[in-house]
Amino acid sequence: MLSADQNSTVREPEGVLAELTADLTEDGRYGERIVRVTRELVTVLDLSGAVLLTFPISDLESAKNDSLVSGGRLILRSKSHEDLIVAYYSLTMAQQFGELARGIEQLAKGDELSINLLVEKIRCEKCGKLLPEKNGVCPSCINRGKTMLRLGAFLKPYKSKAILLAIYATCSTLLVLVPPKLQGTILDSFNAGNRDPQFLFGMIGIWGGVLVGMATLQVLTGRLTTWLGAHLASDLRTKTYRSIEFLTLDYFDKKPVGAIASRVTQDTDRVWFFLVDGLPFLVINGFMLLAVAAVIFSINPLLAVLILAPIPMVALISMKAWKPISNLFFRASQKMARVHMHLNESLMGIRVVKAFAKEDSEFERFRLRSEELRNANVKADQTWHTAFGFMTLSVSLGTVIHWLVGGTMLFRGELKFGEFYMINAYLGMVYGPLQWFASVNNWFSRAMAGAERIFEIMDMKQEPAFAGGDTRKIEGSVSFNDVRFGYDKSNPVINGVSFDVKAGEMIGLVGQSGAGKSTTINLISRFYEPDQGEILIDGIDFRKLDLRTYRNQIGIVLQEPFLFAGTVAENIKYGNPDASLEEVMEAAKAANAHDFILSKSDGYDTIVGERGAKLSGGEKQRISIARAILHDPRILILDEATSSVDVETERKIQEAILNLVKGRTTFAIAHRLSTLRNADRLLVMDRGKVVEQGTHEELMESKGKFYTLVQTQSAVNEIIGIGAG
Amino acid sequence: MKNIEIFYKPEGRLRLTMEDRSYTEVKLAWASPLSYPDKYLAFMDGKGREIFMVTHPEKELPKDVWEMAKIELHRRYLNGVIHKIVTLKTEFGSTYWRVVTDRGETDFLTQSLQENAQWLTPTYLMLVDVDGNRYEITDINALDERSQELLSVTV
Repeated sequence: MLSADQNSTVREPEGVLAELTADLTEDGRYGERIVRVTRELVTVLDLSGAVLLTFPISDLESAKNDSLVSGGRLILRSKSHEDLIVAYYSLTMAQQFGELARGIEQLAKGDELSINLLVEKIRCEKCGKLLPEKNGVCPSCINRGKTMLRLGAFLKPYKSKAILLAIYATCSTLLVLVPPKLQGTILDSFNAGNRDPQFLFGMIGIWGGVLVGMATLQVLTGRLTTWLGAHLASDLRTKTYRSIEFLTLDYFDKKPVGAIASRVTQDTDRVWFFLVDGLPFLVINGFMLLAVAAVIFSINPLLAVLILAPIPMVALISMKAWKPISNLFFRASQKMARVHMHLNESLMGIRVVKAFAKEDSEFERFRLRSEELRNANVKADQTWHTAFGFMTLSVSLGTVIHWLVGGTMLFRGELKFGEFYMINAYLGMVYGPLQWFASVNNWFSRAMAGAERIFEIMDMKQEPAFAGGDTRKIEGSVSFNDVRFGYDKSNPVINGVSFDVKAGEMIGLVGQSGAGKSTTINLISRFYEPDQGEILIDGIDFRKLDLRTYRNQIGIVLQEPFLFAGTVAENIKYGNPDASLEEVMEAAKAANAHDFILSKSDGYDTIVGERGAKLSGGEKQRISIARAILHDPRILILDEATSSVDVETERKIQEAILNLVKGRTTFAIAHRLSTLRNADRLLVMDRGKVVEQGTHEELMESKGKFYTLVQTQSAVNEIIGIGAG
Repeated sequence: MKNIEIFYKPEGRLRLTMEDRSYTEVKLAWASPLSYPDKYLAFMDGKGREIFMVTHPEKELPKDVWEMAKIELHRRYLNGVIHKIVTLKTEFGSTYWRVVTDRGETDFLTQSLQENAQWLTPTYLMLVDVDGNRYEITDINALDERSQELLSVTV
């Protein structure tokens, strides 16, 4: 029987087989409850150790994770059909509790506990912050080296060029200091009564030489910076693209294409502008500031201290303003991505937009997003200019102090006129760049926001490394061993699937939508990996196989074939770029595509248009079949390959498929069961499980799930019709 | 809506009696919780089939039934309704929130606010954390000044 004992405290835990902490209390508030499982009992305790309820496992009929919105609850049902809600938890813990429910059922059956309760780290052990990904790295601890340093790491391949740039920068800074010194010397010499033109011409001669040197260095620095910045940006762009390519598919399930694309283009561009324009000036002028400060100190330390005093204030304003300004620019870049996303979406779906005459409402949505972007940009820039105004004011203070203090010293004869003039010129050099530092901040903010977004992608969970692992040529036998998997971990779509398929067999996957067919082939393709159980290819766990070699041996023909912009021939040889035209034509013939390709004026050189827009659905499908044939995979996947074409085209595609499946392990999903007539075996799936398997005849005779499916879908007529024809 | 009664029996399992019919397991679901947060409440049987739907539950249901339904909805929709933002910090593309909600104080982490902060109306914001948990700010203008300020810089 169920019992809820509020008062007793639990004894020292003995024989605890599993324990989880729920993150919600029984009244739905944030708090913790401990769910402890022994062989005999499920016990719930609060953090003080007081027992809130117990449930004897001997009385258990079933246990389940009841999915709720933003969380779930663990429900135990007794043999007398009474339900007990044991714990509430958020989605963060839902998968773990789903697993625990399975374990409790195992114990109730008298089995050993065989569940995978990972101790998942959700907080950083060092700083206590929540982790973006369970068991993942803490970005603020790992990336403490700051975004800048991380960008700096991209300089490594160009070390010698970077050193050369630093030398140029040092030299040009030192040269810039020379002219005011010369001018001051001339003025002081004049004041001392020197009227010798030779002296003046000599000094101007040196000045001219310095100017030529400065100009030369400016050219060299500019050219080198451009080269270096462009190379860094290009590296960053390609690395971001590479990272995106290897992101797991669930990332693409969640993110719109436009938002991903803007990270490769816009964000890297922002970093590039900063690297080419902002960073070099920041470095050169930073160095100049130090050098000028040293020179002024050598002339008059007291004056130097006074006129350089406002610098910390300028730095403080700059630092204070940086974070909110950076956030505002980050926000503006997000709005820009939204505009891009909408643009991508409405252009790709332009036919649907026109067909429903939705131009006005799409325009309205675009206009709104564009206005959001405008407002975000206005707010960011206005905030920036406000901060900049304060900066200019504080920067002018230096000059005023110089004229006040330095001027007094000059009047009292404590400072030479030449020195006063020189310091005035140097002041422009110190405060000029300081003012400019602030405007670099503008770029810096934008660039760092861009870089953060780029690094966010690079830090995301990647597919298991392509390189490494067994690179054998596979035969093509496939076994599922108690495989469980869910896109949302707490809600398994594949729930304990086991089957063995011999190499060369053709398997039809049958079941209602949502039964788990597409997920099964996604798993075979290793787009996702099972949460539990194993998938064996030729008897080897497929995680041990080299991913690239494995995927190279898989061919996929999708319901909506995807063709890349390019020619028909290029698309057919996408998986096998070295194939000759003869081989391409051979594959096209087997795919029933040769004739229609020849009827096009450019034959195999016909441009298919973006996403194959210039071809019909059936034509695209046959090209994708030819592509699969030429790729010569060991395992072939046909996902509703004939569902969107007319009967005649379907016949042609069917013939093509027959050519394609010969000698390959094939998994086919088809809404029209007729397509699966040629399958050696059908696996009937229902709610994430294989419920029946056998040949079409066997399954029809056993009058089980498949039989019902055929009946309810009225597919019998189709089978008879096509079978007779 | 008359002769309706809903109650827990046993605790945790919601039952419904309606005129001469009785349902031993009943689930409540908002038909369109984001667009119409207080309208269109469906009562469903144990097999997930709709028994009936009320457009304005607060007005149409008897008071005691609505009170009971609210308890069940609070158990079924575990979204936190944010009353106050204590701290809010963005670092390396992750945003760390510490908030006071109708379910107590908690912290959570969001990424890519562009997709995970959705404005359902100009003042109604829904946040989705990295695990898919939802948090709502039903009216940003009702937040205190400091919370609004934190929000305006980040979202």
